[in-house]
Amino acid sequence: MNSGTPRVARPGDDGTLLRKRMDRRRALHVLLGGAAAGAQAVSACTSSSAATEAEREARVLQWQEYIKRNYRFMTDEERGETIDRLERLTKLRTGADVSIQTTAAQPGVVFGYAFNISRCKGFRSCVEACINENNLDRRAATQYIRIFEMKNGEVDLDHADATFEHEVPAEGHFYLGTQCFQCANPPCVKVCPVGATWQEPDGITVIDYDWCIGCRYCMAACPYWARRFNWSAPDVPAEEVNPVQHYLGNRARKQGVVEKCTFCIHRTRQGRLPACAEACPTGARVFGNLLDPDSEIRWVLANKRIFRLKEDLRTEPRFWYFTD
Amino acid sequence: MTGRERGVLALLVTMLTAVGGSGCFDESEERAFASPAHADSAAMSVDSSEQARRRALEPGALGTVNAAPVSGWTGPGGEPFEVAIRTRDPLSAQARRFGTITLRVSLRARAPDLGQYPCTSCHLGRRMTLVDTRIADAHENVRPIHPGQTGATCATCHAPDNVELLALRSGERATLDHTYRLCAQCHFAQAESWAGGAHGKRLDGWQGRRVVMGCADCHDPHAPALEPRIPFRAPRIQRTGGREP
Repeated sequence: MNSGTPRVARPGDDGTLLRKRMDRRRALHVLLGGAAAGAQAVSACTSSSAATEAEREARVLQWQEYIKRNYRFMTDEERGETIDRLERLTKLRTGADVSIQTTAAQPGVVFGYAFNISRCKGFRSCVEACINENNLDRRAATQYIRIFEMKNGEVDLDHADATFEHEVPAEGHFYLGTQCFQCANPPCVKVCPVGATWQEPDGITVIDYDWCIGCRYCMAACPYWARRFNWSAPDVPAEEVNPVQHYLGNRARKQGVVEKCTFCIHRTRQGRLPACAEACPTGARVFGNLLDPDSEIRWVLANKRIFRLKEDLRTEPRFWYFTD
Repeated sequence: MTGRERGVLALLVTMLTAVGGSGCFDESEERAFASPAHADSAAMSVDSSEQARRRALEPGALGTVNAAPVSGWTGPGGEPFEVAIRTRDPLSAQARRFGTITLRVSLRARAPDLGQYPCTSCHLGRRMTLVDTRIADAHENVRPIHPGQTGATCATCHAPDNVELLALRSGERATLDHTYRLCAQCHFAQAESWAGGAHGKRLDGWQGRRVVMGCADCHDPHAPALEPRIPFRAPRIQRTGGREP
């Protein structure tokens, strides 16, 4: 659909539903006689008399959420409104006070990541931190990071063990972690039929969870198995919810949408390290700005033996592996 | 020439050169040693909550995964420090090998976290004389694997007349916060990686001030290898598609 083009309302536009140029969502707005009034009407029709005030308010907000635009094309005002609605909805449904950021990418910043396969000991502290930080589904045990255990001398992900439970590091083995590589040429973005996933200026590929239709083309396209699908609504205990959230990052996901690692967009855009890099007890994870010649990541790329996974696919991952 | 021989040779060269060029390190270590490293945290406590909140939101603010302590992770005075570094460039190696680089990072203070620090809490006058009666298991936690295997003794690293100071081969002394100066004498490759950012944990953000952990923050100097452990529980779903590993 052509909802992408921001449009300026012109006299005579309003109410002319048959005009092609009006996008469907705006038409719906008009049809309902304004979002709030329309939602009230709908909720009045559908709600039973037993519905509480909170349920009614949540239903109104939910209707307004249905008719918002793609995040990329929202005005600042629209973004503010949807943030208010989402925060209020979370409060009504779970009782949790969350704060959702819309922080934009910093100019002159492209994020890069390096992973030291000589240092990683397979403790999976990064996995634990990621789950807590990104509000990942506890019931389905969703995890963005996989740590593969492989025999020394072979890099064979097809026969690697990602479910080891034994004491680590195991003799004669090394560990290689994967997550979303934030490719510079991301195949997942190309295949999305609705424009729900895109690459931000700082290199992070993000998803608008409210625009995703759950077709999972992106999961099929990703050569690194980096995306996760929510078969059910993510289940995070209220007391464990991380209230520091980003619209494009770790805010509450829905059933039937795809999610992925965003290099902890809510942290890294504030100048902090991703949770995985901060949690790693071995210092195997290096994160920084690729455009800053003094950054740690640039030192690693200049001074270490590095490689990337499946370089021949020309996806240009911004995630390098290196050895001491 | 085996790796060990190369290491010993480099150590000898380091000794010789460091004696000549003792200006490599500035005096900030001594100052840091004299003044308590928690000066910052004292200043922190008088901050109003609003100031503390604003500071916590700054890009350079310290943070851990669960937004834990802000104080206690200070570098020695916030000063940058210097470390000898090798270079791979053979032509300029002689000139630059024992030069210095200034890191744009702060070093995490270690001494405040030591369980038996300062030594004078038990030992009189910093010498090995106990205050009161002899405590049999006073140093039970010290497992001298590291100096033991290399045929070294306590005095290889510790100053014999003051165990709170480390004795460098050059004859200089380093505080327990600055273990990298001692360790780098043999482990120069690791020190180079550490100085560059490929080894050792960075604690602050990727932007602005960096705080780096010292060698002994992760490695027990008397038994440096990390202990094996049971990993965080495995994923319940390893594969989400037929071809996925």
